[in-house]
Amino acid sequence: MAYVTPFTYRQGQSLLHLLDVRCKFFVICIISMSLLSAHLPACFFYFLVLLLFFKKTGLNIFATLNSIKYFILLLFFIFIARALTVKGDIIFSFYGMTITEQGLTEGFLVAFRFFLVMLTGLLFSSTTQPSSVKSAVQWFFKPIPFVPEKRVAVMISLSLSFMPVILKQAKEMSDAQKARCGDLQKNPVKRIIRLVLPLLKKTFISADRLVLAMESRCYNDDRTDPEFLPSGKETPFLIGSFIISLNLVWL
Amino acid sequence: MSTIMQKFIIDINAICHTFSDGYIGIKNISVSISKGEFIILAGKNGSGKTTFLRHLNGLLLPDSGHIFVNGHDVSKHLIQTRKTVGMVFQDADTQIVGDTVFDEVAFGLENLKVKRTEINKKVTLILENLNLLHLKNRSPSTLSEGEKRKLAIAGILVMDPEVIMFDEPFSNLDYTGTLQVLSTIIKLNQSGHTIIIATHDVETIICEATRIIIMEKGLIKEDGEPARLVKYLESYGVKEPCSSKFGMGLQPWLT
Repeated sequence: MAYVTPFTYRQGQSLLHLLDVRCKFFVICIISMSLLSAHLPACFFYFLVLLLFFKKTGLNIFATLNSIKYFILLLFFIFIARALTVKGDIIFSFYGMTITEQGLTEGFLVAFRFFLVMLTGLLFSSTTQPSSVKSAVQWFFKPIPFVPEKRVAVMISLSLSFMPVILKQAKEMSDAQKARCGDLQKNPVKRIIRLVLPLLKKTFISADRLVLAMESRCYNDDRTDPEFLPSGKETPFLIGSFIISLNLVWL
Repeated sequence: MSTIMQKFIIDINAICHTFSDGYIGIKNISVSISKGEFIILAGKNGSGKTTFLRHLNGLLLPDSGHIFVNGHDVSKHLIQTRKTVGMVFQDADTQIVGDTVFDEVAFGLENLKVKRTEINKKVTLILENLNLLHLKNRSPSTLSEGEKRKLAIAGILVMDPEVIMFDEPFSNLDYTGTLQVLSTIIKLNQSGHTIIIATHDVETIICEATRIIIMEKGLIKEDGEPARLVKYLESYGVKEPCSSKFGMGLQPWLT
């Protein structure tokens, strides 16, 4: 069975599930850019909006937070780093290191912005089928000259479908090595080399087989265009998203 | 194109293929295949079965000799050939392109630039016929091995080929998976498709086959009716079916 990550698509009938993927893609871009310059009150306001969408889509926020705990740990390090490096009014000092009031505020703000971008991405990926992401990328690249948009779309699709195969192969190889007491090898570099080299070889062989399979099914760049199914709620959703973006920038 | 060529769906004239490292894949093979035949291509590993199949799909081109599919030279009509002769590969995992079952089946039709409405109609019909419709939004990686193999067949079948080739279709399958795939192949043959199966394990399908071709070291050693050739199988490194060994003739595996 496939490994379910917090980014895995979950079926549903919520507003976010039904929206045209191009609209979601566009909104996620403008919201993420607006978040870069958002202040603390605006961030809190957006967090509440996100919580509302989590509830509407049926995603459990606590389970989601649990599944991204390592990312949250990374955000904590970002917070600490900012707190220690930004100059300002000193709150605490030890062994030559100082924690400033401005550092704490800025560290919290930067970490919070990243956290919100992450949650937005999670909402997007868990309500959007990977195949429609590929179609949206193809649609957005279409007007750009010298970009083979259909080839890019197929590459995205292949990456998405090949990832579970590579993970499965890595797990099988790791288990096969463990079965022969491979974990007695204490040197982590040697252990990685023993796993990575055969995995790379196997991946290249699999890629070669995939090329043959695609060729046998007449693969070429001149393919049927993807289909989009707008729900009719895209315009109000876009207007609402613009208002939120302006809020993030100006509040 | 001669009238003799048009009598057969596939006509192969003295093809040879040597790989870039000097390994001889196939030597001087000539064979003709008629519409509706069910052929087993038997032989031990490295006998040239897969190389032979890849020539029929135009994935490999012969160094010498010619292959005609429906009277057209394969080397000059690759797309036409691949529309007529579909190939299901041995490892289902490495031939899956789409990220949902539906996308996977639609891939071939998208390559042929078929209209979207037509694609939706054809894919739904094929998935329904192969009992895969309930899985259409699932990721192929979450399917069982038998379902993956059926999905690979659906991906070929949707392109409406006249000939379907299978490379070791029962490898890595459990009993249920083998049953699913075998009954699908039999139904395809009954609906008029020409079937060519390359395998070193003939027991499962020999009773359904109308012809068996035995290969060794890139050469066709035997070609004829399964009942007549079954006793020679072991001399070419292929296991003779148990029923034949015990003097019970050829018994159907699928009961």
